[in-house]
Amino acid sequence: MSKVLPTPAKRILPSKEATLFKELLTLYETRQLKKGQKTADQILKKFPEHGETLCMKGLVLTHMGKREEGIELVKKGVRLDLTSHICWHVFGLIQKGEKNYEEALKSYTQALRFDKENLNILRDAAQLQTQLRLYEALVDTRHTLLKLRPTLRQHWIGLAVAYHLNGNLVEAKKTLEHYERTLKNIPAYDVEHSETLLYHIHVLEEMGESSDALALLDVNAKSRAIVDRTAIMEIRARLLTKLGSEEAEHAWRVLIEHNPDCYDYFRGYLSNQGLSLDTPSTDALTILRDFSTQLPKAAAPRRLALSIASRDDFRELVKPYLLSGLTKGVPSLFVDIKSLYKDDSKRQIVEEIVEAARTDFSPDSSAPSSSSASVEPTTYLWTLYFLAQHYSYLSRPALAISAIELALAHTPTLPELHTCKARTLKRAGDLYGAARCADESRLLDGQDRFLNTKCAKYLLRAGLVEEASSILGLFTKKDAASPGADLEDMQSLLYLLEEADAHYRNGKLNLALKKYLAVQKIFNEIEDDQYDFHGYNLRKFTINIYLKLIKWEDRLRSHPAYIKAALSASQIYIAVHDDPSITSAASSSTAPLTDAEKKAKKKAKKAAQKVHEDAKKAPAPAAHEDKGLEAGVPKDDDPEGIKLLSVADPLEQAYKLLAPLGTLATENIDVWIAIYDVAIRRKKLLQAVKALNHARSLDAENPELHIRLVHFRQAASALPQQPPAPIGSVFTEALSKLLPEEVSLDTYNSQYLQRHSSSPRAVLAAAKVAHALQAPLPDVEATVFSTFGPDIKLDIPTALLFVLFLTTLKSSRLEEFRANCDARFELSTLFKPLTELEVLKKRALVANDPQPKADE
Amino acid sequence: MVNVRPVKVDDLMGMQACNLQNLPENYTMKYYLYHAMTWPSLSYVAEDNKGRIVGYILAKMEEETQEEEEPHGHVTSISVLRSYRRLGLAKKLMVQSQQAMQQIYGASYVSLHVRKSNRAALGLYRDTLGFTLKDIEKNYYADGEDAYAMQLSLNQ
Repeated sequence: MSKVLPTPAKRILPSKEATLFKELLTLYETRQLKKGQKTADQILKKFPEHGETLCMKGLVLTHMGKREEGIELVKKGVRLDLTSHICWHVFGLIQKGEKNYEEALKSYTQALRFDKENLNILRDAAQLQTQLRLYEALVDTRHTLLKLRPTLRQHWIGLAVAYHLNGNLVEAKKTLEHYERTLKNIPAYDVEHSETLLYHIHVLEEMGESSDALALLDVNAKSRAIVDRTAIMEIRARLLTKLGSEEAEHAWRVLIEHNPDCYDYFRGYLSNQGLSLDTPSTDALTILRDFSTQLPKAAAPRRLALSIASRDDFRELVKPYLLSGLTKGVPSLFVDIKSLYKDDSKRQIVEEIVEAARTDFSPDSSAPSSSSASVEPTTYLWTLYFLAQHYSYLSRPALAISAIELALAHTPTLPELHTCKARTLKRAGDLYGAARCADESRLLDGQDRFLNTKCAKYLLRAGLVEEASSILGLFTKKDAASPGADLEDMQSLLYLLEEADAHYRNGKLNLALKKYLAVQKIFNEIEDDQYDFHGYNLRKFTINIYLKLIKWEDRLRSHPAYIKAALSASQIYIAVHDDPSITSAASSSTAPLTDAEKKAKKKAKKAAQKVHEDAKKAPAPAAHEDKGLEAGVPKDDDPEGIKLLSVADPLEQAYKLLAPLGTLATENIDVWIAIYDVAIRRKKLLQAVKALNHARSLDAENPELHIRLVHFRQAASALPQQPPAPIGSVFTEALSKLLPEEVSLDTYNSQYLQRHSSSPRAVLAAAKVAHALQAPLPDVEATVFSTFGPDIKLDIPTALLFVLFLTTLKSSRLEEFRANCDARFELSTLFKPLTELEVLKKRALVANDPQPKADE
Repeated sequence: MVNVRPVKVDDLMGMQACNLQNLPENYTMKYYLYHAMTWPSLSYVAEDNKGRIVGYILAKMEEETQEEEEPHGHVTSISVLRSYRRLGLAKKLMVQSQQAMQQIYGASYVSLHVRKSNRAALGLYRDTLGFTLKDIEKNYYADGEDAYAMQLSLNQ
């Protein structure tokens, strides 16, 4: 045993105060905070320097919401008694409350030095170690806990999980076996035991011991010790397949019968027979056809068959599939079918069938079709709806609009038709018209939040941020400071990204940055969310799902919303770094508010005031009310994001945002481009090289990469001197590999343009590079205009990038370019002269006023 | 067409997005996690061919039951995107979840709440899913609206 340290004299209290201190601990445990505070004060009156009492008082005050004062006391207490486990424990609790897990763990480690066998401290330390992924230390802690209390079941599971996380499956398995031997009198239908067994089987499966896993599964399924039938069936089918058993086929069939809408079961059934759902095969097709007959209600086998059928089979199968969808009025039919369009012949067959159906179902069809007499009029409607989506998807907006207009003339009250028209217009570049149609759709069913969300999204796409906010407000909580505040509280990534993008396009970088960083905050919250489950799931014995939680949290920031927010925010930071005047322009922006903006501001202020008043009206919180240890949300003193935009170290901020993506989104070339952009400005040459190498391995001809390669060479030759060894040689070598020195940059650029003269993005990249190489403006403009060449398929998003580029060049040919685009993209309003746009915008506004004018 | 399967941890954010787009009652991620971590086999999702969650059922077992009371399940939230209606997805999701409640936890019935004003949802629960009205709970929702408490027996 370790030697016990003598208690320092300054900690020892006379018996009266010692009793009071014990009371204080109990009062805190039972959260009698007010009494606790009084008791602490009693002790401190006589012993103002008693560290443990100071810490306890600080802890009590923090719980009471007096955070700053409380933390001050805790810090003072720790300083006065550095060898007290109570002081360090309290300090650790406070740090944990601030989500400062690393510092908290340090404090807990200190506490454990002075009280090695404290179960509470050990348990908290284990949770912190898990949160910080310190799995070796976790194994030790769990071991200690088990030694101290081997009768507690969760301590066994805790140790097994710790071994598992640390990669030691053998010990995890041994621990579970040991644990199961200690169990006596397990009640029937015990969910916790069932979950434990499923975890044990999972460990065996992961170790590759499939037959042991299967044996354990079968025995316990039979005895009903495992109660989750679906899990039993799934694991069984998987294990039998791994073992190459003849029973596997039957096991998959059982699953299919249990849930005939689950694709995974069909995939499993087929792959067990060496067949796949991704390649055409007549064997697989026969199987799916059989299932379709046996399971007439199941949609999955019918749909899966369409993916693997070819030509004639496809035609035969798709026709009843389409007609049944049209007759039933299934709104998602087109979305479901369009993934088959990868195959041109399939697209054509679908088009033929549905066009024929249009003729058949048309009310004024002259062809006496056998079916038309009995056809419901709505079938015709859904056929037109399908065709409109079909043509819109294939970039034939005029055909799409004509189909949708026919349908609207037939039935003007179906919201889906308006939504469809909205999407068609949006795609064709008429954002105001799209917003108006989405609004019409919304007005047809005011109770439907789906239509409301769509409408708001379309308004944001059209840059109408305030209008979108008032529409969203029809469904958000009335007591929230603003619709956006409620959506942010509810972690709506869709809203935050759409509004951020709208601000970005409107040139309001401060507001855009504010929303992008709100997205980042949500991911931080979700990362913190897992903390409690490190203890909770052990108590609930739900280990399999817990291990998946850990894996998911480790990859959390690979989510597209995080990537999007990180990339856009880092672009803003870079822009601010390159041109600091952006910040001053944003903060001194004295642009008068529009009426809508004024109105929204007034409303937000009113709402905020109301929240404040309501809070006052509510009964004053009892003094002993527990506010917990977590820091509350601080007041937002930067609603416009000006402070965010004017940070002293924009590049460091961008670097931190992008850092997780270097391991989580390695397949995304935009990520590497962004990492390069930041690294080169931070003068981190090796990071820059690494990013370019990664990008090149993904797509050597990527237009954005082309721009960066030239940029890198220019930046390198602008260096005052070669970087010192050992970086120097690595750097020079990498540089010459990325872009051979003997080639002149002009040649390099024109060769690139020649290779990709039919790709609009590449043309844009070449024009940008030419400009960077100081080519005369007319030459750059000529390159830009080559994008209107006959072989180039220019799309609207790229055309807008060209416009942006010409704007930064202050090119005199900008209006000419816009006019060319306006002629090319018939339905689009994006390239109209600015005066005309104002008129169009106002027209979208009138229809979008959610309330009658008399309202305010 | 649409894949109906047991929930995975990776689905929870898609579930939350689907809920926010469709329903007025919303929850933070922690609440979804709490469901999945406590009753991992009760919630189901419907995903389209791009892996987007277009429908879900978020379910639990009632924890505050009296001593003698039989265990029963509770639907915290069920929803299918408007654009994925008429495929019978709500029913399919509900059936899978009910079976799990019964088999794993011995649930004898399943309960849910619905806003008094939400006629569309009421129709779904009563007519499509077979729930019956048990009670009206006054001021159930944060904004003061009453809730219908509905139930469906699982002992057939």
